[in-house]
Amino acid sequence: MRTNFRLLVLVALVLMALAPRTLLAAVGCDLNDPDRDVYRLYPGATSYKTVYTSIYKAGGAPLLKKIEARLGEKYLSLYAPVDLPFTIYEVYQGAKKVGFVHGVNQKGQFGGIQVFVALDLSGKIKTFYIQKISGPSAGKLREAGFAKKFAGVSLKDFGSFDPATGKGHGRLAELKNPAQGDTDFYGVLRGLKKNLVLMDELGYTGKGVGK
Amino acid sequence: MITPFGIAYRNLLRKRIRTVLTLAGIMLSSWVLVSLFGFNQGYETALNRDIDNMGYQLMVMAKGCPYESATLMLQGGKGIRYMDEKVMHDIAKRPEVQAVTPILMQAFFDPNKGENGGIAGYFGVDPASFPAMKPFLKFKKGGWFKDPAGDEVVMGYEAAELEQREVGDQIMVPEKNVPLKVAGILERTGTQDDGTIFVPLKTLQKISQTDKITTVGIKGKKDADLAKLENDLYQLPDVQVVSFAQVKQTIMKLIGTARVMVLSIAVIALLIAMVGVINTVLMSVYERKQEIGILKTMGAMPGDIFRLVWCETLILCLGGGMLGIVQAVVFANLTGVLVRRLLPYAPGGALVTIDARLSLLTLAIILVVGLLSGLYPAWRAGSVRPLESIRSE
Repeated sequence: MRTNFRLLVLVALVLMALAPRTLLAAVGCDLNDPDRDVYRLYPGATSYKTVYTSIYKAGGAPLLKKIEARLGEKYLSLYAPVDLPFTIYEVYQGAKKVGFVHGVNQKGQFGGIQVFVALDLSGKIKTFYIQKISGPSAGKLREAGFAKKFAGVSLKDFGSFDPATGKGHGRLAELKNPAQGDTDFYGVLRGLKKNLVLMDELGYTGKGVGK
Repeated sequence: MITPFGIAYRNLLRKRIRTVLTLAGIMLSSWVLVSLFGFNQGYETALNRDIDNMGYQLMVMAKGCPYESATLMLQGGKGIRYMDEKVMHDIAKRPEVQAVTPILMQAFFDPNKGENGGIAGYFGVDPASFPAMKPFLKFKKGGWFKDPAGDEVVMGYEAAELEQREVGDQIMVPEKNVPLKVAGILERTGTQDDGTIFVPLKTLQKISQTDKITTVGIKGKKDADLAKLENDLYQLPDVQVVSFAQVKQTIMKLIGTARVMVLSIAVIALLIAMVGVINTVLMSVYERKQEIGILKTMGAMPGDIFRLVWCETLILCLGGGMLGIVQAVVFANLTGVLVRRLLPYAPGGALVTIDARLSLLTLAIILVVGLLSGLYPAWRAGSVRPLESIRSE
C-alpha cells in the first residue's frame, strides 16, 4: 500500500515538473561562422565568448518600450518578440575583454538585412559587416570601404541624425549613399543604430552614451 | 433496504486510509493503461494526419534529384534534374491516382549571403492543384497567388521572418534580379514548408528559362492500392519514387519499442494494484473473521459471504478504475507532452486520444483482473468456520 502511495506522489511530482511551458521560437541573428568572422571583424582578438540574452531577461516589456522609443520605431523588428534571444560575442585579447560583436535583423527593400557591428567597450564602432542583404544595391553596401567610414561612430553621432528619415547633421548626414535607392542605405544605418542602442540598453557598452 | 453493496461499502469506509490507498493504486494502473491505449490510438492517428497533411503520398522525381529544400541547399543547388510535364500527365491517367501536382525546384546563387555567398531555393507550384493538396496550410496574412503566371510569392513563416517580409513587400530572385511581390505569408506549420518560398510554376519556369519540372506530387484514391502504384511507378524510366507510406512504416517500427516498454510498465502497475486489492480485502477478511462467523451462525451461506467480499473488490475496482480513466482524460494533453519529449519523433497534434470505447475496454480489464484478484479473499471469507472464528477471540 505504502509503495503505491509513494509511486503516486512520485508520478505527480514528475508530471508537475514536466508541465508544458510556452515555447516561443524566433529567428535571432547569429554569425554564420563565428570562428572565422569574429577574428576577421576584430583583428588582434585571441578568443571570444558567446553569451545569450534577451530583452525579456534584461527588463521585459518596459525595456522594449524604452528601446523602441530610442529607435523612434513602433517595432524593434518585424517578427521579434520580447524573448527573442540576442547573441553577443564578447571579444578578448588574452584575458582582457576588449569589445563585442553583435548583429541585428533589419528590414530592407528586397529582403532582410543582417548587420553585425564590432564595438569597443565604450560602444564605438570599429567596423561592421552585412552578413545578408538582397537586391542590386547589396554589393556596394557590403564593400569594405563603406564600412571603414563608420569607424569611431557611436550613439552620440546618431543623436544628431535620424536614420529613419535621413534628416540631421554631423558625420552621418555627410555620408554618401554608395548604392542606388535609399531604402537599403537607410536600412543599414538603422541596423547600426539598433545595434548600438541594444548593446547600450542591455548593459554591455557604456550605459547612457549618446542619450 | 440492506444490500450486499451497502454492507460492502460500509465495510470499506471502516478503514478509510487503507481503502483510499488501494483506490489510488487501482486508479494509477487504470490511468497508465488507458493512457497507453490512448497513445496507441492517438499516435497512429496523428501520424496518418501528418502524412495526409503532406498532401501527397508519393513523389516522383528525376533520378538523382534532391527532393527537399534542405538537401538542395546542402548540395549548393547542384544535382537538380528535370523531367517533362508529360510524365505527370501519364501518371494522372492511372486509375489509382486522385490528383497530381507539378513542382519545379530551383536554386539560385546569392553572392550577398554570408562571406562567400549562398543558395536561395524557390518552389514553383501550380496554383490550381497545389493548394488543394495542402489544405492544412493557413495564411497569417494574404493568400495564394492572384495570377497563375504573376510575379508573386507566398512565403513560409520562417522564410518571411528571415527576410523580414510583409504582404505587399518585394523580394528579389538572386542571380536573375527579378523582383516578386509577396502575396501571402503562411502560418507556422512545423514542416519544411515554413522555410519555403513558393512561386507560381509558370513564373519560375519563365525565370529559369525552362518548361520542365523536377517533381510530381501524387495523391492516391482512398481505397487505392498504393503499394501497387508505387511498384508501377518504379518501372518508369529515369525517375525515383519517394513514398510516405515507407516513411510511416519506418516511424511505426521505431515507435514499436517505446510501445512495448510502456506496455510493460502498464502491466507491472496493474499487477501492483491487484496485489494491493488482494492485500486490502484479505486483511479486511481476517479482521472481520468473528463478524463473518456470527453472520454464518445467523444463517448466512458461504455463497452470501463470498458475494459480500466480492462486492468490496468490485467497488474498489470500479471506483479506482473510473477515477483513473477520468484522470487520464483530464491529463491526456500533459501525458502527450511528456511522451513527446521521450520519443525520437512525434507527429503534430494530440498524441493521446481517449474515447468511450477505450475507456470501457480499460474499465472491463480492471474489473476482470480485479475480480479475479478478489476470488481468493472471497473464498477464504466464505470458508470461515463459524464456531472456530467466534472462539478465536
